Amino acid sequence: MFELLDSTLRLATPLIFAAMGGFFCERVGIATICLEGVLLTSAWTAATVTYYSHHCYLGLLAAVLVGAATLSIQSFLTVKAKADAIVSGVAVNLLAAGITPMLSKFLFASATNTPAIPLAERFQVVSLPLLSKIPFVGNLLFSQPLLVSFALLLPFLIDYIAYRTGWGLRLLACGDSPEALKTAGVSPAKVRYLSLALGGAIASFGGAYLSTAHASQFTREMTAGRGFIALTALIFGKWRPLPAFVACLFFGFTDALQIQLQSSPLLGNTFPIQALQIVPYLVTLFVLVGFIGGAKPPLSIGKVDFT
Amino acid sequence: MTPNSFKHNFVGPLMAVAIAVVMAVLILMALGENPYILWEAFTHTFFTSFGLGYTLFYTTPLILTGLSVALCFHAGLFNIGAEGQLYLGAAGVIATSLLFPSLPSFLAIPLGIIFAMLAGAAWGAIAGVLKAKRGSHEVIVTILLNFIGITFVNYLILYPFKNTEVQNPETWPIGNNYFLIPLSQFFAHLGVDLFKTTPVNVTLFISLLAAVVCYLFLFFTSWGYEIRAVGQNPKAAKVSGISTMNITILVFMLSGALAGLVGVNEVMGFQHKLIEGFSPQYGFTGIAVALMARNHPLGIIITAFLFGAVHNSSREIEFLSDKVTKEIALVLEAILILFIAGQYYFLSLWDRFRKRDSHV
Repeated sequence: MFELLDSTLRLATPLIFAAMGGFFCERVGIATICLEGVLLTSAWTAATVTYYSHHCYLGLLAAVLVGAATLSIQSFLTVKAKADAIVSGVAVNLLAAGITPMLSKFLFASATNTPAIPLAERFQVVSLPLLSKIPFVGNLLFSQPLLVSFALLLPFLIDYIAYRTGWGLRLLACGDSPEALKTAGVSPAKVRYLSLALGGAIASFGGAYLSTAHASQFTREMTAGRGFIALTALIFGKWRPLPAFVACLFFGFTDALQIQLQSSPLLGNTFPIQALQIVPYLVTLFVLVGFIGGAKPPLSIGKVDFT
Repeated sequence: MTPNSFKHNFVGPLMAVAIAVVMAVLILMALGENPYILWEAFTHTFFTSFGLGYTLFYTTPLILTGLSVALCFHAGLFNIGAEGQLYLGAAGVIATSLLFPSLPSFLAIPLGIIFAMLAGAAWGAIAGVLKAKRGSHEVIVTILLNFIGITFVNYLILYPFKNTEVQNPETWPIGNNYFLIPLSQFFAHLGVDLFKTTPVNVTLFISLLAAVVCYLFLFFTSWGYEIRAVGQNPKAAKVSGISTMNITILVFMLSGALAGLVGVNEVMGFQHKLIEGFSPQYGFTGIAVALMARNHPLGIIITAFLFGAVHNSSREIEFLSDKVTKEIALVLEAILILFIAGQYYFLSLWDRFRKRDSHV
């Protein structure tokens, strides 16, 4: 049981970072199907920089910069060049999927992966003082690689920023009514640029986690659709940080369960794991369609009348 | 037609192609490769029987997914679900061959094609119905349906349809009564030695026919008119008595049927079985194909050929080079999409640049 919950948290971590990053993009009114691309570029950067510098925090820093830059391509295209956000999102995903193996091939003569990083140079399990002493759950939640513990606290921070600070309210206004924001003397374009860069930076923690904490290297297509699952979680949470966080944990749990069932000798080859794999998408579809409360996207999403 | 339509229909895409070629040269040089191999790959792709055969084989699914995306665009809908629909279509072919293993060819082939289209259409219809009846955003719905559909087809491949005699994740082969004729055989009958050992098959003609039919349907029938009316002004269309609900569902079914035909090309025309993950993102490339052709069905034939050529050249580049991999195709496709999607801005930059030039 502990193993299952532990594995749930570890699998949910990249989803949480990506979904929280996605929150900053979708809520300012820019559809963001390119989280997948951000995870890819940041995972590659983290693995490569950590490999050369032998410091995973340097890798993380580089990943954050590259992730912010990746989403800035998206904000440039949608805000400045007035491209459709879905179309440019597809382009950013293709770019990321193409450029990462090409650079691996160039630097390491192998398109499939970057070299393995020794265990000692990856993110280590850290027991946070005090927090990890909480009875029952302390060890589970806060004796983890730092990134996991951070992911568990981040949604609360973002919830506070979004609903309790002036900057957060601007962000929400930008998504629901950019005209009102303009009337108040704030440039929606500026909010969008900043917000997407910040969203990219946050999502990049997930990419860095994948390649330097969860695994020991970057492998081609290692994100395996996690960017889309994160987006799904965000929608499942009706574009709000805390429900999206719960959705990420739930999706992480189905993933963990599926892996455990796959390796269990009892069910091994007879249980079709696909039945579990579709659960996140199926329940989100039901929520979206309105059978479970309905989900409304930010009002200005998909409209190209910016600046 | 806007006054600038010539510029945006032709100059923009051509400029994007030129930029992509320049970028390809720069990328090759940056990676320490001789850019001359680009020319070699280019001649291989277009001017050898083998290379052109493969280019046309990749063109076929891209015409179909391009049409699938474009048809929805004309109704103001964004179908990014072609990827899922085409897997369902492929599964439809396998299901047909398992249900009716011993039909004569003249029945088996049309039946396989019809089932592929029906399976794709059914998957498309879900998105259409949810959009029409519940107002759910079609982009999100089709993303979700892609995952659900592909996972479902993976299940079919690994369990009920699994070929238990092999280790690989693939289905039982279809009977040869379902095989489509490769074009090489077609040309051999005419005494011409063309496209030998390449998988390009009669599905190419089906896709060309589909493009022409889509063109006639969209621009010369009342249904086509209604679709475009809904796309351009749904409120006006509604007031004039067009049911936007029915049009939405119809368009998604037709789009799904077109994407489903990709399964015919792959299963009946080439592999003769269904393999897990066969599509190199034909559905997503279809978005680029439609975008570049500005959703014109006949233009899609040309842009699909272009993207088919990019796909095939990149394989050739990987074969020729020990430094560059086939993923260069993804980068070039991204560049093409970026510049076409933002072409109004990039063309205005270019205009400003020229004006400043003429002042000097």
